[in-house]
Amino acid sequence: MWVFRDIGRGVMTTAEVFASPIVPAGTVRFLGHEGAYWRLRIKGAALVVATLGIYRFWLATDVRRFLWSNTEISGDTLEYNGLATELLVGFLFAVAILVPLYMIFALVVLELDMVAIKPVLIGFALLALLGEYALYRARRYRLTRTVFRGLRFDQHGSPWRYALYALVCWGIVIVTLGLAYPWTSAFIERFKMRNTSYGDLHGRFEGSGLSLFLRGLPMWLVVVGVPIMAIVAMARLIDWEMLGNALALSQGDSEFMNTLIKNNPQIGKAIGLIFGAFFASITVAIVLYPVFQAVKLRWWISGLRFGEIAVTSRLRIRQVYRVYLRLLLYLFLLGLLAGIMGGLTVFAVLGTVRLLHNATVTQVVGGAIGLLLYVVFMIGSSTIYQVIVAAGLWRLGAETAALTGEAALDGVRATGSPSSALGEGLADALGVGSI
Amino acid sequence: MTLTADTPESAPPNGPAIYFDGTCSARNDVVVEAGIAGLQIFAGDRHLLDEWLYAELRRQAAPDGVLRLGRHGETLLARLEIRDAALAGAIEDRAVTLDRGGVAERKLRRKVVILSLAAVVSLIFTAIIGVPVLATRVTPLIPISVEQKLGNAVDGQIRATLDTKHLGAGFVCGTGANGAAGRAALDKLVGKLQAAAALPYPLRVDVVRRADFNAFALPGGHIYAFQGLIDRAQSPDEVAGVLAHEIGHVAHRDGTRTVLQAAGLSFLFGMMLGDFVGGGAVVIAARTVVRSSYSRRVEASADLYSVDLMHKVGGDPRALAAILARVTADHDEGIKILADHPDTKDRVIAINAVAPKDATTPLLDAADWAALKQICAPSSASVTAPASPPAATNAPTPVKTIQVRPATPGAGQKDDPAVAEQGGTAGGQK
Repeated sequence: MWVFRDIGRGVMTTAEVFASPIVPAGTVRFLGHEGAYWRLRIKGAALVVATLGIYRFWLATDVRRFLWSNTEISGDTLEYNGLATELLVGFLFAVAILVPLYMIFALVVLELDMVAIKPVLIGFALLALLGEYALYRARRYRLTRTVFRGLRFDQHGSPWRYALYALVCWGIVIVTLGLAYPWTSAFIERFKMRNTSYGDLHGRFEGSGLSLFLRGLPMWLVVVGVPIMAIVAMARLIDWEMLGNALALSQGDSEFMNTLIKNNPQIGKAIGLIFGAFFASITVAIVLYPVFQAVKLRWWISGLRFGEIAVTSRLRIRQVYRVYLRLLLYLFLLGLLAGIMGGLTVFAVLGTVRLLHNATVTQVVGGAIGLLLYVVFMIGSSTIYQVIVAAGLWRLGAETAALTGEAALDGVRATGSPSSALGEGLADALGVGSI
Repeated sequence: MTLTADTPESAPPNGPAIYFDGTCSARNDVVVEAGIAGLQIFAGDRHLLDEWLYAELRRQAAPDGVLRLGRHGETLLARLEIRDAALAGAIEDRAVTLDRGGVAERKLRRKVVILSLAAVVSLIFTAIIGVPVLATRVTPLIPISVEQKLGNAVDGQIRATLDTKHLGAGFVCGTGANGAAGRAALDKLVGKLQAAAALPYPLRVDVVRRADFNAFALPGGHIYAFQGLIDRAQSPDEVAGVLAHEIGHVAHRDGTRTVLQAAGLSFLFGMMLGDFVGGGAVVIAARTVVRSSYSRRVEASADLYSVDLMHKVGGDPRALAAILARVTADHDEGIKILADHPDTKDRVIAINAVAPKDATTPLLDAADWAALKQICAPSSASVTAPASPPAATNAPTPVKTIQVRPATPGAGQKDDPAVAEQGGTAGGQK
């Protein structure tokens, strides 16, 4: 499109106006090239290992810049304007909060002479609460560092209340063996989105628990239902009275099993049944995991609302499967490469070191090589996962999403201000951080 | 892509851009002119929307092929997005803050990496040198009552770990009628040592039914000696020498110090460093190497304490060296930097170098020594002794001597894993 413009001192200037990109309104695209992301991740991983983790704040910032910048919504890209130093300071603050907390906890345990299990449980609950608190504040940090069309996103709402809700929800999910998960997820997403805004445009979440439940029910029946039926079946096969007697009579372990098997001919069958059911359940769970991911992601994206703007997702299950198959392929290749390279290194280095005829040196060098190989393999797997799955699903989610009512995007007014990175730091120190 | 053909030389570079004013999300198609001091932003109808000085321009994260500009020090996030390469180049030429080609950014990153590496080196040195020094200074400030509570907390765990045959109360030797004489002999021996040691709190020494050659002290003054130690000792002074070494740990409050050191190490390797995928293994390796280096120093000083204390009570200060040398003579010493005790040969040499060579009389008479040797004797005769049948199987019969030799080569060199790291698994298990 060529346009003639008349500006300044009456000089005619020809300019190609591709300032405004020609994209159908409401489209969401991901512009990033995977090659660039691989480079960013691999270089970052090497530096993270070299600095024993200190570089992670810079890597996280680079990653976010890349993902945000390349996500285009209705013709404009997002912008991440957080700084790595903010994350570092947030982490140091978190450490300053956590260290005294751990110390107080240790002293309380000592002073009260509590039995080992109780303080561990209380500590676990407290850390879980703090972890959820940190997650919510970290989300606030990321949102307030997200700029779109010159306005930032924002999040309000009490992080403590969120943490409490989240823990209660987890409790409900565990008690109901996962059946309540769709409703608790919807509840949590509603809380998050209700407190999210883009400028003066308020967010909300319209995904319903029931629809997620109906889509997930078949999966639940296979993965959780089958083992439950197996347990029930086993309970019927076993003669409980006999079992009780055997328990009461027995002293040692082997004796107990002998009595049990003698008096309970069905027990072998029952144990076989239960193992078979659990094995099948775990296998099916692994195979169906991409389905779960696809269903959940699609449900989540389709539930997002900002004022009049609604998002829909056309994400297909097979697309998510393709992502995971690629992950398997790359992990296999990494394993192969690590095996060959590791074998060669061990052979070459240890062969050389052995010439010194010093057992200690050989053992130390061997240990160091083993450690190095382990770290390289682990960080390599994590990098592959981040590029193929984490970024892959991000891209898929973006490319299959579409906006309706996007006209509202033109009249949003600015509000809000940036928030501190403490939440991010806590999330990092507690190990609950994400992209 | 400005067509410069019909643009006079004097005309400043200009081109299309997208402008967001920071108060409203509306997208404005504008024309930007790169003037002498800054950018002039014109609306489509040629009216001047905004003027940005070059000095306040900042590059913002953007996809490839887009120059996204913001203004430094603004609370509003006004943005200018330029896709026109020629115009973007012209602006980059004029505004040094934009860091054309990312040279300044790369330099900054290099600095970050170098400083991070320096931080890693500094923290590692802190771990090796600073943490033990700090722990030594802080240990005397910990009240004895806290140390005793700590000992009680660890005691239960340690006992559960060691008592693999679930003997319960019968795990401790000398509780039944049969062991009473042995218990009395042990108390006599410990009493002599304790009187000379002048400790801040009373000792509690127990012999437990474990066949390995080992002994260790917990915070708060609880010392465990294994049956394997009593069985292999050839004189009361050898037992006393090992006990004196453990009393050395108690006197130096090594248990508390180890807990403080472990806490400091966890803080450095775990919280400050090592937080990345696969970092757990690095953390464990680093902690093990550093901790063993602390521990070797602590052991050496407990050996010296033993020599001193044995000398004070009139025992043979070289007995510790004798039993160490005899029991660990034929064992592989393992990897030196991972061992928590110094090399036995070095220990024996160090002990013999400082120990006086005066002739001494045994600390227990023959009768008491014989009773002590029998402290773990089977107590089947006694009706009151709990858990008799398992205890009987554990008696020092010749068949059982197979167990005398520690199962793992690593365990051979350790006559006592000092008190131990907090977790409690330290005990004789290693």
